[in-house]
Amino acid sequence: MIKHHPKIELIQAFVDGDLPASLSAGIAMHAEMCSQCQQKIVQLTEHAAEVSFEEAFLDKFIVDDTSTIMSDSDSDDIDFEAMAELISQSNDIDIPEPALDKSIVFNDKTYKLPKALNNMPMSKISNIGKLSRARLQLDENEIHTSLLQIEAGGGVPEHTHKGFELTLLLDGSFHDESGEYVKGDFIMLDGSHQHHPVSKEGCLCYTVANDALHFTQGINKLLNPIGSFIY
Amino acid sequence: MQTSLLSKVTNDKPSHMSDNINHPQLCEWLNAVANSRDKKAFTQLFKFFGPKIHGIARGKFPNEAQASEVVQETMSNVWRKSHLFDKDKGAATTWVYTVMRNVTFDMLRKIKGNKEDNLSDDIWPIAESMVSDDESFDDHLENKQLLTVIEKLPEAQQEVVKGFYFMEMSQEQLAEHLKLPLGTIKSRLRLALAKLKVQLGEDND
Ligand SMILES: [Zn+2]
Repeated sequence: MIKHHPKIELIQAFVDGDLPASLSAGIAMHAEMCSQCQQKIVQLTEHAAEVSFEEAFLDKFIVDDTSTIMSDSDSDDIDFEAMAELISQSNDIDIPEPALDKSIVFNDKTYKLPKALNNMPMSKISNIGKLSRARLQLDENEIHTSLLQIEAGGGVPEHTHKGFELTLLLDGSFHDESGEYVKGDFIMLDGSHQHHPVSKEGCLCYTVANDALHFTQGINKLLNPIGSFIY
Repeated sequence: MQTSLLSKVTNDKPSHMSDNINHPQLCEWLNAVANSRDKKAFTQLFKFFGPKIHGIARGKFPNEAQASEVVQETMSNVWRKSHLFDKDKGAATTWVYTVMRNVTFDMLRKIKGNKEDNLSDDIWPIAESMVSDDESFDDHLENKQLLTVIEKLPEAQQEVVKGFYFMEMSQEQLAEHLKLPLGTIKSRLRLALAKLKVQLGEDND
């Protein structure tokens, strides 16, 4: 059962469209697996819509008896009726393409690609030991987004993060000092956490981090270059 | 189509309470666009949403031209995708909000120097149901039902009920806001609730 969910503030920012694409996709994929968060998103979206279209009215517009909208903002200068006329001359309608079922193969294992990732360009897969990574090219500067497969028995050496690290489990499971994580879990860590995830039967994760990992223990310090490989 | 979109605003005592959105009307217009490519209905939708979208976009984009582009793009999508709106799955405002949010998201990504990759419809699918399961579906129906019943109340009672329930104002705040004695607010609310109970059935409380 899913135990880890995005915080409500993060869901609100998602609904408002204020998060980067990487985190937005993470929340969308979690919600596809979590009806509880899906429900919250529906409610917050309804509320955001209500507030947007009501308050914009309260702040800026006056309605006269014939319900013509008068405005005191610079939208005065815009001829909304002409815009409407122009747009409605077109007979086009959008028929959405049926969502493709895409998949991705890591080390001979095929995973169904979540819809949110359907059109994200992806790098080739690279490997170090039991870790394989494909980078998603979102061009969000210091934010790096990847699909990371840990093969059965593999793990990530103990590390901390200077920024944040989101791990969304898309398949399989892993555990660390705090417990067991399963498919759908949305795990957001910041610089105050240290962890050492290990996967017994293997897993596929969607990861978003805004800084390289920093390995903390003994010999693993030598591994710091892998930090930037993974995240 | 001479239906007043927003409930009447009295001139001497402008009250925000009565400015609630006329959801059934918006829904009717959107369906008219979807089913019969009704240009008049589209113009009405444009008059309602256009200036508001513009106002919101002005807060998110540095310049006027970009804000106008959001209006243009959002309303074009409304025109071309209206058949994807399903009134049983949510309000017209929610649907238009989704279209606007997606347009804004893609444009902001483009402006910030990223690719023109239009990821928003994969992240927030417009065509898909806005409601995930039966429970929230019921919730929504109940809300809609409640709203239609409330609309039938006398205007004085409507303002109080809407303020109390939808805007979550306290009775004291309402009294101050509407410039009415607290006792009046209380008795209007009591009257309104009694009527709502009858309309909705006793088992609804
Ligand atoms: Zn959740």
